[in-house]
Amino acid sequence: MLARVANNLYWMGRYIERAEHTARFLKVNYFSSLDAPNKLSQSRQFVLQSIYQMVGETMFINDTLEEETVLFNVGLNSEKTYSILNSVKNARENANSSRDLISTEFYESINKFYHHVMNYPSDVLVKSGLYDFTSTITEHTAILRGKIRGTLLHDEIYALIMLGINIERATQIIRIIKTKFDDAHKAIGGYANPVKNSYEWTTLLKCAESYDMMRRLYKKSPTQLSTLEFLILNPSCPRSVMNSLNQIYTNICTIDNAKIFDKDSPAFLIGKMRAEYEFKTIEEIQINVQNFIEKTSQLLFSIGFKLENEYFYV
Amino acid sequence: MKYDYTIKYRSENHYETPVFEAYWQFLVTPENNSTQKLITEKFTTSVNARIEESVNGLGFTTSRIHCKKPFKDIVFEAEFKLTKREVNPFDFTLPLDNSLDYELLSSLPFRVEFEAYLKNTALTILPKISEDLFKFEQSKSVFENCIALNTFIHNFITFKTGVTNTNTTLPTILENKEGVCQDYTHLMCAVARVNQVPARYVSGYLHQGDGFLGDMQMHAWTELYIPEIGWVGFDSTNNLVANHNHIKVAHGKDYNDCPPLKGIVYSSGNNFTKYTVEVNHQQ
Amino acid sequence: MIKNTANPIFSSYEKKDALYDEIFDENDEVRDVYKKLFELYSGLSSNDFGTLNEKAKATFFNQGITFQVYSDAKAQEKIFPFDLFPRIIDATEWETIEKGVLQRSKALNLFLHDVYHDKKIIKEGIVPLDLISSSSNYLQSMMGIDPPGGIYNHISGTDLIKHSDGHYYVLEDNIRCPSGVSYVMCNRNALKKALFGVFNHYDIHTVTDYAENLLEILESVKPNGVDIPTVVVITPGIYNSAYYEHSYLAKTIGIELVEGRDLFVENDFVYMKTISGPKRVDVIYRRIDDTFLDPLEFRSDSAIGVPGLFAAYKKGNVTIVNAPGTGVADDKAIYTYMPDIIKYYLDEEPILKNVHTYHCSREDDLKYVLENIDKLVIKPVDEAGGYGISIGNKLTKEEIKQVQEVIKKEPRKYIAQPIMSLSVHATFIEDENSFEQRHVDLRTFTLLGNQKDFVLKGGLTRVALKKGNLIVNSSQGGGSKDTWILKNK
Repeated sequence: MLARVANNLYWMGRYIERAEHTARFLKVNYFSSLDAPNKLSQSRQFVLQSIYQMVGETMFINDTLEEETVLFNVGLNSEKTYSILNSVKNARENANSSRDLISTEFYESINKFYHHVMNYPSDVLVKSGLYDFTSTITEHTAILRGKIRGTLLHDEIYALIMLGINIERATQIIRIIKTKFDDAHKAIGGYANPVKNSYEWTTLLKCAESYDMMRRLYKKSPTQLSTLEFLILNPSCPRSVMNSLNQIYTNICTIDNAKIFDKDSPAFLIGKMRAEYEFKTIEEIQINVQNFIEKTSQLLFSIGFKLENEYFYV
Repeated sequence: MKYDYTIKYRSENHYETPVFEAYWQFLVTPENNSTQKLITEKFTTSVNARIEESVNGLGFTTSRIHCKKPFKDIVFEAEFKLTKREVNPFDFTLPLDNSLDYELLSSLPFRVEFEAYLKNTALTILPKISEDLFKFEQSKSVFENCIALNTFIHNFITFKTGVTNTNTTLPTILENKEGVCQDYTHLMCAVARVNQVPARYVSGYLHQGDGFLGDMQMHAWTELYIPEIGWVGFDSTNNLVANHNHIKVAHGKDYNDCPPLKGIVYSSGNNFTKYTVEVNHQQ
Repeated sequence: MIKNTANPIFSSYEKKDALYDEIFDENDEVRDVYKKLFELYSGLSSNDFGTLNEKAKATFFNQGITFQVYSDAKAQEKIFPFDLFPRIIDATEWETIEKGVLQRSKALNLFLHDVYHDKKIIKEGIVPLDLISSSSNYLQSMMGIDPPGGIYNHISGTDLIKHSDGHYYVLEDNIRCPSGVSYVMCNRNALKKALFGVFNHYDIHTVTDYAENLLEILESVKPNGVDIPTVVVITPGIYNSAYYEHSYLAKTIGIELVEGRDLFVENDFVYMKTISGPKRVDVIYRRIDDTFLDPLEFRSDSAIGVPGLFAAYKKGNVTIVNAPGTGVADDKAIYTYMPDIIKYYLDEEPILKNVHTYHCSREDDLKYVLENIDKLVIKPVDEAGGYGISIGNKLTKEEIKQVQEVIKKEPRKYIAQPIMSLSVHATFIEDENSFEQRHVDLRTFTLLGNQKDFVLKGGLTRVALKKGNLIVNSSQGGGSKDTWILKNK
């Protein structure tokens, strides 16, 4: 397969996944704050800042954020690289340049998705459409995933898209954890005590659509320990970092089975990271959570970097 | 008699910002023909890239570099050794009846055969008012007319560097009457073609030992097709019929068919180019 | 108004007698081939049609079967409007068309070989020298090159019209990168989805065999010494107006769709960059113009080409389809010599008619043209896509003066033809919610390969949607119809 097209497929996967995570984060944070148990979690500024932090917008401590501006920027502002609109636009553009390889049905879905977002009125989004907008984003991405799974040959094309999806998923989950971890500490005022019980853990799980799954497994209110264990280490949770790593490994093996034992290859790096996380315990992570989060996102970044150099820029 | 030459071509490019990928195609290798024979060729470059030989659309040998590693400076050097045969440009008998030659020049099959070198290009189109700049005298042979034209062009333009470039068109040259070898050649081509004589632009090296005009760069002259004789080189810059001092690389309709370097560079910012040519003659 | 108004969707069908109507004959009776279809459509109301029409449009839009329009400052994404009333061509009529377009393609191929070798036809004075020496599409670099199988114009698109005399005339031969074939297949699909019932009553030729035939043709012209060639399609990229077609062809043929930056040349061989390293490319179906193919040989500012490609081609290490330099033969000025070209190379009479053409480069013709602009269509010799065309009887006095000035400036650049009256076909007009007459033409697709040729049994019927408009190009507000070629009974 052409290196450029492989790159497009990979990034299409990443952008589809990014659109979904951004939408869910926006939705859950905004709506759960409405009836949050403590004052800070309820505070509008607190929520808006959390949203900006997640998407990576630069902020100054004393900035007062306008709700409508934040919602517009994150949802539909074509000038913000992190906006959902741009993720969808990029996903479709990547699909365009590889459309001879993807199924007509899948292309049709991504095209519909694109037109839906492009035509969504921004005044509706910021005034009354937030729930509708974000829900349809997650619905559309679910349809896309279904079409990817069901209408494409499970060969290297499929593996490249899934590789993008899973790397992006792990990256986004880590970003969400980081944002909510910071929020939880802010909510109790400082990093000194480990935050055992916080409303933010519930929000975090909901952002990853994993709250129900987690309650079912632990049958207790989420704590920092149980939440992180579930979202990072539990391979059965479809959105956990571990689950993503397992999939990334499978995908990279489909694309390139020969290079797994080459120390400099992305496949080797992925295998190594996966092996390490498989036997990691939450207690080890607990020693320095912040450090662990940083390290994980750095590892994911370097995997992405290596992938691009190895396969896409030949 | 034979002459042995060593030719060194060197080009240096400096780029303000790094170049990530680049292609250079040099058209500097002397051709093999009845008067010259290439013995050896050697290419070197400062960047880590292979040098490939290829043949361009008009059939001349090119050397190509494809560089994929970022760099800011590049040097390319070529060294050729060749022998050149003594050329006697007057080694033929003049036709008895000139009119047959002029008839041939205006005949359709002839004009079709030499179509490429009879049509005007952007660099060789004479403004309407100058179409009668030099008219062939039908009483003289084509060759005699060409000699006269060569002298005419030589006297018409004053050799001066730095006033024209490779994009300069004839109206400017006709107005200022100054320029360098490619300007002489473009004007010569244009006038010859108006007089129905096929003309081609030749790019090559000039051995400057005898105080000829030119500079430390590549030289240009004109080849005209003369019935019953064939292509004959005319160096109007020096008012000469091309001889053993003229080492041909390539020909074309005008300069654009035979620039010594074509580069495709993926970079932004300015670049500075310098190139030099050295032609040495061993006794 | 036509007599047969029992059908509500035809109630406002205004039939002009001066025009050749594809559906109704001179007595306003439905022509035989359309009888069944007309009967079937009679069962539908105009609202039914409106709904079907909307659905068909949505399908095209959702599938991204769109093109970009350049004329505005901002490029817009538009669908190529599709009409639900198919055009039907019966078997005998088609036989003539098929033979005729194949004859033209073969003659043009021999012409191209000649102008890049001995130029006999010009030396003998049959085609003027000026037509090649002043053509910007004539590539000196192609002199003496022998493409595999001797084929230059592997893919030709011939534009035909039916005049009011009931005969087909060729309007032009497109042999650079003719486009539109993807619409032929998409139109068929769309019509099947919308009105599958009508297909049961007609025995028509499939159009899906185009892809497999194209692949066979492309493989047949592989370079010497290659067993199983790697074939690719090269596109300028996703912002090109015909990108949909490029990707559609790559997909249906099952070959790689590449951009210039995906290819590179080493030692005069062409390779593509894949995730498992360089892979040699043998045949390139190019959808980029000649001068953009290779920045080292042609335009050095081309960012969509492949440096060194032409040298590889010249060496015979890769085949370019259509060959570079074919444009010289689809110059509109060459068109006018087509009857002579066919006779010269094939020793045959032209099967299809040519429209009489006045060359503004000839003094007599120029004089006639300048005096009769109101009766003529003026066309620039080398513009594609319907740009720069003036239709004499639609111009104001002021505009005629302007056109005269433009022609006088560069007579060589223009030709003129009598205003042909394109036949009309019933077409569903959204704003009226009913059928009206609209002008149509027909683009056919012919393939030439090594010991093989193929004419697509079907074509692109283009419709001028603006009332009275004669220009059918998509960039100028044209639409299209599915085109049915009936099988022999």
